[in-house]
Order: sequence, then C-alpha cells, then structure tokens
Amino acid sequence: MTSTPTGTHAHGGTTAPILELADVSRTYSTGSRRRVVLKSVSYIFEAGHMYAIVGPSGSGKTTLLSLASGLDAPTSGSVRFKGRDVAEVGLGTYRNRHVATVFQSLNLLTYMNAVQNVTSAMEITGVRSGSRKRRANELLGLLGIEPEDRARRTLQLSGGQQQRVAIARALACEVDILFADEPTGALDHEAAAGIIEVFQKLAHDDGKCVIVVTHSRDVAAACDKTLVLKRGKLIPQG
Amino acid sequence: MNLCKRAWWRLTGAPGKTLMLVGLFFVVCTLVLSGFLIRSAAARAADSAKNRVGAVATMQLDVNGLLASGKNNGSEGSGQNPGTIGSAGDLRRDLVDKICKSSVVADCNYTADGAAFPTKTTKLYQPVPVPAGQDTTGTDLFKVDGVRKLGEVSAFRNGDSKTIAGKGIGPDTKRNEIVVEERVAKENKLEIGDTVKLKIGELMPGVDTSEHEFEVIGIYKNGTADTGQYVPAMMDPANQLYTSIEGASLLGGRTTDGGGTLKSATFKLTDPQDLDRLKDDAKKAGADLQIFPISVNDKQYRTLVGPIAKTANFATVTVWLVAVAGTIILALVVASNLRERRGELGILLSLGEKKPKLLGQHLIEVVACAVIAIALAGVGSQFISEAIGNKLLAGEVESANEEAENESLPSDYSDTSGMSKQGDDQPKTDPIDSLDVHLGPSDIAKVGATGLGIAALATLVPGTRVLRLNPRDILTKGN
Repeated sequence: MTSTPTGTHAHGGTTAPILELADVSRTYSTGSRRRVVLKSVSYIFEAGHMYAIVGPSGSGKTTLLSLASGLDAPTSGSVRFKGRDVAEVGLGTYRNRHVATVFQSLNLLTYMNAVQNVTSAMEITGVRSGSRKRRANELLGLLGIEPEDRARRTLQLSGGQQQRVAIARALACEVDILFADEPTGALDHEAAAGIIEVFQKLAHDDGKCVIVVTHSRDVAAACDKTLVLKRGKLIPQG
Repeated sequence: MNLCKRAWWRLTGAPGKTLMLVGLFFVVCTLVLSGFLIRSAAARAADSAKNRVGAVATMQLDVNGLLASGKNNGSEGSGQNPGTIGSAGDLRRDLVDKICKSSVVADCNYTADGAAFPTKTTKLYQPVPVPAGQDTTGTDLFKVDGVRKLGEVSAFRNGDSKTIAGKGIGPDTKRNEIVVEERVAKENKLEIGDTVKLKIGELMPGVDTSEHEFEVIGIYKNGTADTGQYVPAMMDPANQLYTSIEGASLLGGRTTDGGGTLKSATFKLTDPQDLDRLKDDAKKAGADLQIFPISVNDKQYRTLVGPIAKTANFATVTVWLVAVAGTIILALVVASNLRERRGELGILLSLGEKKPKLLGQHLIEVVACAVIAIALAGVGSQFISEAIGNKLLAGEVESANEEAENESLPSDYSDTSGMSKQGDDQPKTDPIDSLDVHLGPSDIAKVGATGLGIAALATLVPGTRVLRLNPRDILTKGN
C-alpha cells in the first residue's frame, strides 16, 4: 500500500490524503461463474493532484471508478474518504456531497437544456449559490458552450458540446473529488486541451482531487500521476 | 422544489407522453365520474319518485289470522249465521279514520261493498229482457259500493265514469245519500233530490231485508255502452250505485256501528320505508294486526325507479371496474415509463438524489396529469354520463315495460276491492326514462379523490422498483 503524508504540491497547492482504496476487491458472479475484476487494490489519492488511470479494455477501470465514486460497493476491502469508510458515510451522501463524476456515456438529462442540467445537479448536491443559473452559465461559458446553445435541449447539442455540459455539471457541484471516465473522448484536440486545462486548474489551484480514466496518452501525460490497472492490480507508473 | 421543477421540465419536455397520460387519465376519470353522476342522478330520481308516488299499504281482514286469534264468535250469540265471520272480522270505519290521521299517511281510502234489491219504485236497468228460463237469483241486484271519496274511485279517476249532475260521495256524505248512473236515473225518472227505495241485498236467512230510502245527490255517466245482449243486472255497469260506507254497510246487511264496516282500507305513505311506523300507529289506534294485517304495495314506486335503480347498479359496477382496470393500466404505463427512464434515474442517483425524491417526482408528474384530466372530465362527463345513462336507462325501461305487460299486478291504492288490476284501472305508471344529471362539487371531490388515489397507487406500486435501483448497474450496463 502506498501512503502519502500531507505535503506541498509542486504547483504550490496543499496536498493531503483524501481518498484511500484499502485492499479493495470486486468480484462479479454470473450463475456459478465468478469473475474477479479487482484484486486487493490499495492506493491513496491526494487532494491537489490529478491522476490518470490507464489500462487495456476490460482491465476494470470503470469498476474501479464506480467503487471510488460510490456508485458501487467493493466485495471486500474499503473505500475511505478522509479516513472514513464511505459505507459508513453512506454511498448516496458520499456521491451527493463529496464526489462528482463525468461518465463516458455523458448521461445528461435529455428533457432539460444545458443550463437546467447544471442547475439541477447543483440543487441536488445542495450547492449554495447566490444564483445557480449565473454560475451554470459561467461554467458553460468557461467550457465553450455558446449562450444560444445553453438553452437548447441536450439532445440537440453535438457530442462534444454534451461532453462539456457533463463536465460543467460535475464542476458545478463543488465537490472534493472529480472523477471523469474518458472525458475527452468526444472532443477534438483543441477542446480536449481546454478541458484538461480546466481539470488541472481544479486540482492545482482549487486543491481538488481529479481522477481521470483514459486511453489517451496526451491526457495521461497531462496528469500528475498515472496509475496502470492490469490484471486487477493498480500499479503506479513512473 | 427541485423535484417539482424537474417534474415540470419533464412534463413539458416530453409533451407526447404527457398527453398520452392525460388522455388515459381523462378516459378513466370520465368513466368514473359518469358512474358517480349516474348514481347520484338515480338517487335523486328515486327520492323524487318516493315523494311523488309514495307507497300504498293495504289493511284488510285475514281470515286465517282471525281464526288463529280465537276471536271469531260469529256463531255464538252475535246474530250471525254459523260458518260466517262474526263482528271481530269487521273492519270499522272509525278505527281506520284514526289510522288515517297518522303522520306517515299522505292520504287514505276505503270501500265497503254491498248490494241492493230493486223495489217497486226503483227498478234495475235491463235493456235486454231476461231470457226465458234464466235463473236470476243473486244477480238481479244493484251493486252498491260504499266509498270515502267518489273521485278516488279508479273508474272516475281514469275517466271511465264522470259525475254529470249533483255531487259525488265525500267523507261528509250522509248514510242515506246515493249517486246513481245516468241510465238507472232515466229508467226511474230520477233527478237530484229525488228519493229511491232499496232493499237490503242479502239473501242469507234471518238477515233483515227491510227497505231503506236514499236521496239521489249525484248522477254519473259510465262510458261503457250497452252490449245489446243480456247481461245479469249486477254485472251491468249501469246498475252500479255509490253511497257512503254506512249506506253500503246498511244495504249489505252489516252493522253501521262505528261508521260502518269496510272491505279493506288503503293508506298512501309518504315514504315506502314508513310501513313500520304506520303499523305502530295502527296498533296505538287499537287495531289487531293479526286479524287486520297491513302490507305495503310499493309496486308503483318500484315501477318508477326499477330501471333507474338497475342503471345505477350498473353504474356502480362500472365505477369499480373502471377504477380497478384504470389503476392496473396506469400502473403498467407508469411501470413502463419507469423502465424507459432508468437512465435518467441512474444519473440522478449518481448525483446523490434520494430515491424517495425520485419517486416523488414521478408522483408529481402523474398527479399533475391526473389533475388536468379530472378538470377535463368535469367538463365532459356531464354530457357523456347523460348520454350513456339515458342509453342504459332506455334499455332497462324497455325490459321493465315488457315485464310489466306480462305481469299480473295487485290492486292499487284507489281500488280496495281487490278485483282491479293496475293495468286496466289505474293510470299507467311509466318508469322514469331520463336522467337529470348535475355535476356538483361533491362529485368532483369524489372523482378527484378516486383519480388521485389511482395516480398514487399507479405510481407507488411500480415505483418500488426505483427503490431497488443501483446507479452503477444503470449507468454502466445501460438498460
């Protein structure tokens, strides 16, 4: 198990252990068949850092993301947020208060427009904002969504725009940890670079922990640390 | 508020589905509301019919009851012949008059029957001579009916007979006053104020057969024409005389004590449910209900409200069927919607939304559709229920009429003789054949409660699936 004490980030931000995977395993059973996806994974993620999790398809990256983001519970071991088992915190509360996730499949609410998607998430996660709508517009503007597109239903937006709306929604929740599953998959190079820049600022300037699952070497290279998931084990690289 | 906002966005964001749900609710609510309206219209019609016709209770001698009571002393010192019913079997007019004063009696009537032999000065009307060898014993008589009010006699009420001179019989008519038919009046050259002599029409040995004088106070005309063939005098409507109860009792050879004796009495009740109160009042008046039982004839009431009651019963069954079927259909639709919306639920769950709130959002959406549908049903159901109700009622009325034609009916209120049938001497009672539908706040409240109940059930039952959802499965495995 890797342990990292509280310290100072290379970019000047404060670093502290925020999320710990402690001997986490996940097994799926289908009838009599059991499939071990993660096997005794242990790692400590720190605030103020941006992590890339890479690995071949089927290596368990999405499963790891699900466990770390509180969408699922490990078969054994524990996920700890600031030293406390998230099972104790409650997975719903953990997701609601402390983490936000950008899914590979975008997962926007199709009957809402871009602004509504963002403000709705802010309301659910209890973000106290003078004007949620104004904040939503700020974030969408920051991510390059033009004002006329913000009032359109998300199905009328392009894949790249939807990706950015999903990221804006995650950023709006003002959480401690941001998970992103292939966040730049639907974006062109320039837009992807912009997103990575936003994530870096979030980690380095705002002291958040950003964990990105990616196949992109460019994205991985932009992260502070890269972790390789192979045969159910998480191995730090470099 | 967040879930209300989301519900609103969802409803306006998917107008097709919203319209479908509103339409489904509209159909269910309209049928349920129509059922309620038909039921309440039927209840109002039944109340109105109750007030209109009431019910008729009949009081008359029950010979078996008299024998069982041991009071039949007809052969023992009463002056009656052996084998006849004694004075204990006499239904006295003064007793019935007391019962008539009961608060539950809207009106009452009674008759006494009798007969009278012609005398030298008063002849029968016989247009065709008696055939040679014909035995006329017991038939060459006037038929004398004692009545309380002549106008209530069915022949007068239905227009077969009408007074053409003088006045009819009323409660104040004296014992020696009489009303004769026009043809008898002509035969005997009688005018108002003239006197007729009649002989007691009783053939039993030992019975007084003296003659009595009656003053003609009225002449009536019966519409039945002569047949041109011989008819026994007593069977000829022209030889029908009407007098007071006492007069008929006198000519019938019975006592005139207590205002005379009646064949039977009828009481028109304001409410068919008041029979027990009438019986109590009769007992208080001194009637022995074992000898003179009172039974109700609510035939007219049942004829009036029968079809509408059947329609109301059908409406009740419809309300339940539609409510149950509607709940099931809506539950299936909502369940199907929930399945379609698993992705949305997963996203909201991943954001940390609470499951009860997800359920709440669905409930708000369904209730909003229900409220719109209830409002629309309120507008449309009055016309629909009137159309459906009248259509159903028409079918019931038709079968009721067919039944009535095939049915042998008991005597009615006005005719206490027990001979007449409703079909030929009572104005025909037609069943209520239209519904007076009114939409009131209570009907809206009832259908509102039903509609919202259906909405709640249809959402919460399939909604339990939401509580079992796992966001990870939804978001990573899709649907």
